[in-house]
Amino acid sequence: MNELTTALWARRPQQATRIVDAHAHAGPYSVFFIPDPDPAGMIEVMDRCGVAHAVLSSHLAIQLDAAQGNAATAAVVDRAPDRFTGYLTVNPWQDPVAELGRWGDDPRFGGVKLHPDLHEYPLTGARYAPVWEYAELTGRPVLTHTFSGSPYNDLPMVDEIAGRHPRATILAGHSGVTPLGIDASIEVAERHERVILEVCGSFNTGADIARMVRRLGAHRVVYGSDFPFIDLRMSLGRILFSDLSDDDRAAVLGGTITALLGKPEA
Amino acid sequence: MSEGRPVLIDADVMLGRHPRRDVGGGTVPELLAAMDRVGVAEAVVGSMTSWLHDPARGNRELLGLVAGQPRLRPCWVMLPDTCGETGSATGFADAAVEAGVAAVRAFPREHNYDLASADTAAMLDAIASVRLPLLVDAGQTTWRTVETLALAHPGLRIVVGGVGYRMLRQIAGVLDRTDHVSIGLADLSSHRGLEWLATRFGAGRLVFGTGAPYRDPAEAVTRLMWSELGEAEVAAVGAGNLRRLLRREVRAA
Repeated sequence: MNELTTALWARRPQQATRIVDAHAHAGPYSVFFIPDPDPAGMIEVMDRCGVAHAVLSSHLAIQLDAAQGNAATAAVVDRAPDRFTGYLTVNPWQDPVAELGRWGDDPRFGGVKLHPDLHEYPLTGARYAPVWEYAELTGRPVLTHTFSGSPYNDLPMVDEIAGRHPRATILAGHSGVTPLGIDASIEVAERHERVILEVCGSFNTGADIARMVRRLGAHRVVYGSDFPFIDLRMSLGRILFSDLSDDDRAAVLGGTITALLGKPEA
Repeated sequence: MSEGRPVLIDADVMLGRHPRRDVGGGTVPELLAAMDRVGVAEAVVGSMTSWLHDPARGNRELLGLVAGQPRLRPCWVMLPDTCGETGSATGFADAAVEAGVAAVRAFPREHNYDLASADTAAMLDAIASVRLPLLVDAGQTTWRTVETLALAHPGLRIVVGGVGYRMLRQIAGVLDRTDHVSIGLADLSSHRGLEWLATRFGAGRLVFGTGAPYRDPAEAVTRLMWSELGEAEVAAVGAGNLRRLLRREVRAA
């Protein structure tokens, strides 16, 4: 039993590790009902478990309107800057250059969020070119949705874009989601040192995460939850009980993403 | 199990290998080790063979696998009795009781039948008559079917698992309109969904399960232990509600 599972069984928040959730959202989402999707409710869940910080993009930004949604993300960070950092969402159909220009230097944002599946536009498409230029210039990470078999963000497309932009740090959101996708994400990350695996999703397991760490090192794997899209505790539990050393677990839960967010300009 | 910890009884576990994911060997020792790793005391366990190959053979073999395992109770897989694959409806139910089966699971989508049709009515009546709970994953059926079943077989206790994070609108309607439908915790993953359901419908409608080994059992354990439910509710969801569902009464002659 590690200190985190000791806290879990005592039903008290853990305090042993600074946990940073690298994949969060905020707000309602039309496709399904989310109880209490606002930041105050999110902070309650974070406090329940002992999660210090989350990096988020508003649901408004990824689902409907990048401009309004990025403003909503900034407002969330304004209200709780110690708890949240924003991802600047770029929708390839909604003026990427304008969004990067408006928010690219804003300290409330720590990276860029792409969701090719939702926007029905391939990760390798030309409309994303300003994002990769920005990422290589600033060193800020780009979190992209990935899903094995998708025509928009399958792992071979991450492979291609990482090859084209070797100085861009790419967080492969969900690590491909499925068992096949998880295998593929590890292989892509082995080929590209700045591809980082983010582990939230509906099918990942602690065994998968331990395998990622064995193959890549804990400095290449980050905890994310996707909350409030999915409850924060689902992904967290897999890491709590996974077969990792205490140091590796701490890196996956927070150390790795903290280092990436603090990365100096390239 | 450490003193003071809530007891967890897993209603949603399988033995055996899986053809589309590496879940290990699926043996009893592996399952017991996995349960120990996440603090699960007991489990109601089904068979991958029953699910993914041959229900009759899987059900039969399962009894041998769990024999002498006090922490494991068998869960059989049902079929409609139209082709006689698992015997007659009453024969299946009686054999299940005789063998100490704790629950019955259905895979209507993957086994290609309609759970709410006349084809399954006799089997569901037989299962209800011996008070075995019916377990079914949300992906195997529809909420309309679950509601139809619950209304057509009022004695049947139904636990719907694997509900994911997109179904609260449907779940709330069906729980509102039925009395004997419960929700399993395996992949009950809506943000604060567990607490929302417990507040609205009572913790008595929630049953602990993990979906292991396909799912990581750590998910459901962590979700419940770090939930915002009180201790009594955690005890009920973790074990009490399932124990109540598994408490059979002798069928009237």
